[in-house]
Amino acid sequence: MTPAEQVVQTEVVVVGAGPAGLSAALAAAQAGAQVTLIDTYRQPGGQYYRQPAPEFKGVRLVDHQHEGQLLWQRAAAAGVKLFAETTVWGAFEGIRLALCGPGAPSQIQTRALVLATGTYERVAAFPGWTLPGVMTAGAAQTLLKEQHILPGQRVVLAGTGPLQLVVAAGLARAGGEVVAVLEGAALARRALRRPWQTLRAMWGQWARLVEGLSSWLALKKRGVPFDTGWGVVAAEGHRELTGVIAARLDDGWRPIPGTERSLACDTLCIGYGFLPATELARLLGVRHEWRPELGGFVPVRDSHMQTNVPGVFVAGDGAGIGGAGLALAEGQIAGLAAAALVKGLNPATSRKIQQVAPALRRERRFQAVYAGLFAPGPGIDELARPDTIICRCEEVTRAQVEDAIRQGADTLDAVKVLTRCGMGNCQGRVCGPSVAALVARETGQTQAETGQFRVRPPVFPVPLDVLATQADGQV
Amino acid sequence: MRVDSNTQRGRSVTITVDGVPVQAYLGETIAAALMSDGRRAWRFTQGGEPRGLFCGMGICFDCTVTVDGRPNVRACLTPVADGMVVETEQSMELSA
Repeated sequence: MTPAEQVVQTEVVVVGAGPAGLSAALAAAQAGAQVTLIDTYRQPGGQYYRQPAPEFKGVRLVDHQHEGQLLWQRAAAAGVKLFAETTVWGAFEGIRLALCGPGAPSQIQTRALVLATGTYERVAAFPGWTLPGVMTAGAAQTLLKEQHILPGQRVVLAGTGPLQLVVAAGLARAGGEVVAVLEGAALARRALRRPWQTLRAMWGQWARLVEGLSSWLALKKRGVPFDTGWGVVAAEGHRELTGVIAARLDDGWRPIPGTERSLACDTLCIGYGFLPATELARLLGVRHEWRPELGGFVPVRDSHMQTNVPGVFVAGDGAGIGGAGLALAEGQIAGLAAAALVKGLNPATSRKIQQVAPALRRERRFQAVYAGLFAPGPGIDELARPDTIICRCEEVTRAQVEDAIRQGADTLDAVKVLTRCGMGNCQGRVCGPSVAALVARETGQTQAETGQFRVRPPVFPVPLDVLATQADGQV
Repeated sequence: MRVDSNTQRGRSVTITVDGVPVQAYLGETIAAALMSDGRRAWRFTQGGEPRGLFCGMGICFDCTVTVDGRPNVRACLTPVADGMVVETEQSMELSA
């Protein structure tokens, strides 16, 4: 087969099969477009609708797994073609995407692209964070929901965000021992700062409130402490985790001296919210703006989720953290608009877009309040000691990063060149925010000014033979 | 630690990890099988530090193993298969 035969044309491509992607794919297909959906994992659903392994039988579905299955079934019934276990490693003008996956073409060409790539967890470096047994809250969530295993025997959850609470409840219900859940934000105080805005945002969010309350009760019933305004400041152990040091946090999320206490555990699930996965959008030249309350740099879009690059739409958490409800609404609009671009805008499609408006407004109100409740303070990026690893892949320490900055490195890419930070397999996804915070602090810049690691294809490691079979030799 | 309740996992299979047979179930990822077998770490960095599962979603590449001769495979994403040969740089067992 010549390389040219591996380039497939399609009308609408959706990347990511979480809530936003499934919603976009379904809407575009129902509007008459030929839709191809591409996703990294074995089964559609993303993180939010993470499914049990397909080989498992007799599974009692939890959380939103059933909802996710229904959404995918509707999309499949509408004719959406799915390439699962497929990575989009490059995106080029045209719009052309480079793929790597079983049964997937090496390239796909389209006029309308909806990026619904979601997020990955925002972590921060602290002493001992590289010990086996320390993982993200999402990792524990996947182990439980997909693999039906507990991540460890004695679990502490810390950081910020509703995910920790939900995961803790899931672990406790499955018989795991949850030692404590530590939420960095002083939630009650933050909620009361803008009581009417908070109440108004929570109105209509009954499912969320019930889920939160039910998780909190599941912990209370089992005597699991849920402490707000607390955080983990260090992990301890020799070669594996044996405990953590927790402390009360001040308003800047810095540990208050004298409040430290030790918690014995073998598993720590840590996470400070989410970072939008914007690599493909940035490769395509989509303009981004710094919105820390939405997770960092996010794409600039119009009311139809269209970016400054014609034909490129972005929807869901990958465009700014807002939760599944917002992702479903944005996905629907993006899918309809993408289909309209290819098929022409007709009154029925216009009407459908307008019909999403009330849901969109409701979810944006929630998004604003959510951001205010869980935004972490600068203290989380000050816990690392000089010998603490910042870049896990290349084992670069805080001292080495600060040394590079003192030698004149004032951007992330400059730090990368001098230290190898961000050159490893994760391509700076994990260490990016930590390095940005260090550069900002040492140089007196804002994080908007320090920017991100420059993105280049392949955005994920791919085997050399995948690069070699590119049509036209373009990489 | 596997949570059993009502779940019937897929067929029982045997993989080898550094030559040692480990029982697993179809549908499990390599990471889940290793963790159920009591391992918290299965990779050593260049600096000699042990690593295991961190992000669980294929982003961090801390969990990589060599599978049937292919290196740099993410254990958290890859399902086990009967007779799969998994090689770690060195394995480390959790003392329970």
